[in-house]
Amino acid sequence: MRHFKLESLASKLNWRFAGISSVFALFLCTSLLAQVPTEYYKQNCVSCHTIGGGRLTGPDLKDLSKRQDREWLVNWLMDPEGILKSGDPYAVKMQKESRGAVMTRSPGMTKSLAIALLDLIDEESKLEKSQFAGSQISDRPLLQEDIDEGLALFMGSTKLKNGGPSCVSCHVVNSLDGLSGGRLGLNLTRAYARLEGRKGLSAWLISPPSKMMNPIYKKYPIDEEEILPLVAFLKNETEKDAPENTSAMINFLLFGIGGAVLLLVLFDLIWNKRFRAVREPMVKGN
Amino acid sequence: MDVRSQISMVFHLDKCIGCHTCSIACKNIWTDRKGTEYMWWNNVETKPGTGYPTKWEDQEKYKGGWEVKNGNLKLKSTGKARIIPNIFHNPHQPSLDDYYEPWTYKYDELFTAPEGNDQPTAKPISMITGEPMDIKAGPNWDDDLSGSPIYAENDPNFDNLSEEQKAQMFAIERLVFFYFPRICNHCLNPACVASCPSGALHKRGEDGIVLVDQERCRGWRSCIPACPYKKTYYNWQTGKSEKCILCFPRIESGQAPACFHSCVGRIRYLGVLLYDADMIDEIAKLPDNELVEAQRRMILDPNDPEVIRAARENGVHDSVIESAQKSPIYKFVKEWGIALPPHIEYRTLPMLFYVPPMLPVMTSMDGDAKKNMIEGMFPDFDKARAPMEFLANLFSAGNTGVLKYTLKKQMAIRQYRRAVTVGDITMEAAKKMLLEADCSVEAAEEIYKLTTLCTFDDRFVIPPAHREEAIEMMKDPLEYKQQVGFGLREEPMRGA
Repeated sequence: MRHFKLESLASKLNWRFAGISSVFALFLCTSLLAQVPTEYYKQNCVSCHTIGGGRLTGPDLKDLSKRQDREWLVNWLMDPEGILKSGDPYAVKMQKESRGAVMTRSPGMTKSLAIALLDLIDEESKLEKSQFAGSQISDRPLLQEDIDEGLALFMGSTKLKNGGPSCVSCHVVNSLDGLSGGRLGLNLTRAYARLEGRKGLSAWLISPPSKMMNPIYKKYPIDEEEILPLVAFLKNETEKDAPENTSAMINFLLFGIGGAVLLLVLFDLIWNKRFRAVREPMVKGN
Repeated sequence: MDVRSQISMVFHLDKCIGCHTCSIACKNIWTDRKGTEYMWWNNVETKPGTGYPTKWEDQEKYKGGWEVKNGNLKLKSTGKARIIPNIFHNPHQPSLDDYYEPWTYKYDELFTAPEGNDQPTAKPISMITGEPMDIKAGPNWDDDLSGSPIYAENDPNFDNLSEEQKAQMFAIERLVFFYFPRICNHCLNPACVASCPSGALHKRGEDGIVLVDQERCRGWRSCIPACPYKKTYYNWQTGKSEKCILCFPRIESGQAPACFHSCVGRIRYLGVLLYDADMIDEIAKLPDNELVEAQRRMILDPNDPEVIRAARENGVHDSVIESAQKSPIYKFVKEWGIALPPHIEYRTLPMLFYVPPMLPVMTSMDGDAKKNMIEGMFPDFDKARAPMEFLANLFSAGNTGVLKYTLKKQMAIRQYRRAVTVGDITMEAAKKMLLEADCSVEAAEEIYKLTTLCTFDDRFVIPPAHREEAIEMMKDPLEYKQQVGFGLREEPMRGA
């Protein structure tokens, strides 16, 4: 028995090693893949930066190397928060221009990747029109139909084409009534204003950079055709700027209590003939 | 023919004095641990009474045992589909209140109470919560008909009796009761085993003892509603179920189980029976009033060469067959037909049999004079103090025929012995009674001896356990031999 236990322990350990090494191998593979700088740029940078398309949340990166030397830029990419903390004057100035937004360290960043990215930016800067010159979202005026379609997409009554989760599962806007929306994510009533309008919001939606949304929508991106309606909807919300809907929370609570009561009634009906007590009613009954 | 051996028991209720020594012997050995305080693997009930747990015989409530549905045997409490929605809470379990809340007393207070005008008392303390409690019931709360307007009158065995019969039993001058000691019946068709979702309950192959594997039990508690006799219990400390193990460590070393060994009235008999396991399914489906006789058909004659051959083929050891030939149980149940199974209508085929009590004592007081109720040779059982239907509900699934047979035989033997020792009845009349009760003089002598003059060896014919054969099934005994020992220098690989 003891021998058996030792053996099984040993085999368990082997399995653990196998597990660790396979995770490690997987990690290696994904970081190698991410080193293709164009892909990496698309996934991690476009939501805040254009190349020759004007500033979004972050500055336009066209001719970046003319503004700052390469060593500084590599260090910046490796640890932007650290440099900001150290009080570097250029970094502080940039932060002010971005109205306080802080660039975070991008996932899987390495020195060689940083150099490759800077090379890419230089290459793209030389072109007349870079592929990263900003979103290809049309500038046409937003119509009521767009708003309606956006509402449908937001609420999930029209599903996102690529299978991503609908906004309402995590987000809420003030104008919704009934049970309103999810409370895991931010309240999006003023998202249009926060991301500085159509351009910034579109860029965000093409590749959402936030920690929670990035891994989800990397796999199931929002389709280009869906972005305009969503922007229209959120713009409309910002313009309406409705006060927060407090009745939704109460509704939700009441709904929960009602559901629980209903469930208990149902259980009681199903198990109506369950055993209750024998001795006590017998003694009391006499 | 699939011949197997089963350790079986007979309790002679006419001899039981209701002293609870058996219960205490069992309690001290097996259920004095935390989590088992409320369990009584052996308990003694007063009948009529509601027993322990309260009204355990009321299967409308407890859903114990089997029922025949569309020609198949089905458990009343559960099934393959029903077990899933009920797995986290079985809806038909007795609550702690239906057993009783176990308690002790705070004896400290007898010594440490401050001086005062009153005698100090020991307060009752719950053994579950440790808090002071009001004692509301106990495992033998209705002992000796105490509280009978509540307890005895609610005996489930009265359910199909007429009001007149009930009144007859409770008229104060005709009051009648007897004791009913109970342990696990180690049934041939155990409902607890069938209900277990983990496969922890099993019937031991070599002697039919029903056990709960404590390693495999997951505490689903299906066995608790399934057992119609309420003889499986849930240990709230270990989270596993436990039950009577028929003191198998004692049996394996040739000793009678503790409750048998300690029995003051010597009411308990133990021996091995050979039975045909192929017949279980067919017999368990028969109508109620055929069950007692059908179960006797399953029990095979251990002297029949054909049975011996089939038993050997099935791996029953010769010494077990020899033991079966000497079994007092075989005589009580099969040869003499005076021991009956309890509530066989639950269809678990219990292997504990009872010699029904001779309640209908045939005299009553008529003013100052003793009046003999016997007119003719045998008394009119229908005029007996306890209605025959009541006893038949308990011991023969309502079949009064087999019940009267046992009472008649006992009555005849009593009169025969009276003729031998007292002589106020003629031997000729006594022998005529025996003849009418289907009993030879030899059998009468033997029943008399086994009832009154029985020694340990007469009562307990314990088959050799042959643990070495059980080992052979799993590994080479010679190898095993090297692995056991004290291991002072080299640790033995015990339990490998």
